[in-house]
Amino acid sequence: MFDHGQPTYAEVNKDIISTMLETGPKYWILLGSTMSLAGIFFFMPWIYQLFVGVGAAGMNRNAVWGTYLSNFIFWIGLSHSGTLLSAVLHITNSPWRKSIYRSAEAMTLFSLITAALFVMVHVGRVWFVHWSFPIPNQMGLWPNFRSPLMFDVMAITTYLTASSIFIYMGSVPDFAAVRDASTGVRRRLYAVFSFGWRGTAREWHTLGWAYTFFAVFVIPLAVSVHSIVSWDFALSAVPGFHHTIFAPYFVTGAIYSGTAGIVTVMYCLRKFLNFERYIGQVHLDSLGKLLIALSLIWSYINVLELFTTWYGGSSFELEALSFRMTGFYAPLYWEMILFCAFVPLLMLTRKIRWSWNKMLVISILINIGMLTERFIIVATSQPRKFLPDAFGFYVPSWIEISITIGSFGIFMTLFLIFIKWVPSISIYEVKETLKPLRRDA
Amino acid sequence: MAILGTFAFEEDFLTAAKNLTSSGFDRISLMSPIPVEEAQEIVGLHKSRVRHFSLAGAIIGCIGGFAMAVGTALVFILPTGGRAIITIPPFLIITYEMTILFGVLFTLLGFHFVSGLPAWKDRPYVISASVDRFVVVVEGTTGEQAAKAEAIIRDAGAEEIQHVEDSQ
Repeated sequence: MFDHGQPTYAEVNKDIISTMLETGPKYWILLGSTMSLAGIFFFMPWIYQLFVGVGAAGMNRNAVWGTYLSNFIFWIGLSHSGTLLSAVLHITNSPWRKSIYRSAEAMTLFSLITAALFVMVHVGRVWFVHWSFPIPNQMGLWPNFRSPLMFDVMAITTYLTASSIFIYMGSVPDFAAVRDASTGVRRRLYAVFSFGWRGTAREWHTLGWAYTFFAVFVIPLAVSVHSIVSWDFALSAVPGFHHTIFAPYFVTGAIYSGTAGIVTVMYCLRKFLNFERYIGQVHLDSLGKLLIALSLIWSYINVLELFTTWYGGSSFELEALSFRMTGFYAPLYWEMILFCAFVPLLMLTRKIRWSWNKMLVISILINIGMLTERFIIVATSQPRKFLPDAFGFYVPSWIEISITIGSFGIFMTLFLIFIKWVPSISIYEVKETLKPLRRDA
Repeated sequence: MAILGTFAFEEDFLTAAKNLTSSGFDRISLMSPIPVEEAQEIVGLHKSRVRHFSLAGAIIGCIGGFAMAVGTALVFILPTGGRAIITIPPFLIITYEMTILFGVLFTLLGFHFVSGLPAWKDRPYVISASVDRFVVVVEGTTGEQAAKAEAIIRDAGAEEIQHVEDSQ
């Protein structure tokens, strides 16, 4: 489990808490850069779009959904592995979960926030977004719960709430450890965050039960969220969208891109917070094997989609598929197949699976492929519905491209703030994997 | 008065806890940097009441979610293509999400209720309990009883014993 010798309990506290308390100039430069990226590329174009209207984006009459929604799916997908993987590994009592789950759960939370922002950007008049919630109002207006978009609102709100509670409750004992290691205002703040935790048998016992229940609730929730996102598409009678395979396709794709995202995040944590001791070969190897399995399932579903379209014989579906594979966006389609179906096969060799640098490159390529996949689904289907004389075309405008780039700035900013406020590795769970403090150990 | 015994080893801590409970001390708190299952058994913790909260939340969410979907459809009637106003399959999805949402929220409530947290008042505590030490606290003892508790803790191998005020 530990590549550089087992640490002591005290060393675990020191190593992890020091990453929060000691902040060098590199951190501030990085934070400033990501904030600038978010401000200049995301918020400024969005403000411009708020003034001139959503016409500033490349969406038009035949393509009323564009890059904003494909990015929304991408970020929701990226959120999937964190909490889901953490919950599944908690229930199955897997020891390799303990070093990586906190940051993976944070990834879930921040991806969800970024995804929710894309909905706000997409709807145009963001100040009316509260109309989608069932809130009593003077107009007597209530949401239409028969719409898949309303399923989305309820599912994502639930997922955001449950993920926040899941990560917070798992961090309570660690907040107490930070409280005990700090002084002044920080100590008082963490005393509040930790609810006055003392680590008594009753507190541990209650947390253990509650945490298991959270995990049990979160697993079906995470599966439902991306199924529901897929129904935004699959419940409409649009060629290229209307597939029963969409729910498992989206869920698999989500877990796939999320797991690749975890590899990227783990690489950064290891490199920049010096967590080589805690995030080791066993984690990389396990994640690599999981990625291979997911890539095979993802490839199988893609082949299945081709087969069912061909076997179904609907001319509209065949035309949609043909455009996807040979039309204007064909290079993106084949790039997706290369990055998501073939490149991950390299991980079959242990030499690649055990190399952090190679795994970083593969994980980034997978997520580029997954971002492209979502774009292709949106951009090649909806503008070309049924009658050729009504066919349109969609190309993202510079505002959409800029906002897409800026969204990575938002995610990174939130993550950088997170690592200074929450221990990015679970202190008490890492200790559980060490030799017990017994005379005979 | 409260007596705090700090231990470096888990088995000494568990011995002290066992001896204290068998000697009739009932206001005992056992603190540790990680969860210790045996310590939980010594203080008589088995199934947690949190599970009742989870179940209640899930049931309330299930009924409430369906009622919300039906209620809003009836209050704001929106005929769509001749379809029924109360449509079971889509409303079950809302019901499913609300079951989970309220299950999670009630589990959180249950955690606070059962654990007694948040508790920001002064209580006996040793900072090293969050690092690498095991701590036994016996509260509400005076005179002879306090001496007896202290002797049990010392005999079990405590590396430090402190006398502090009881919890407020």
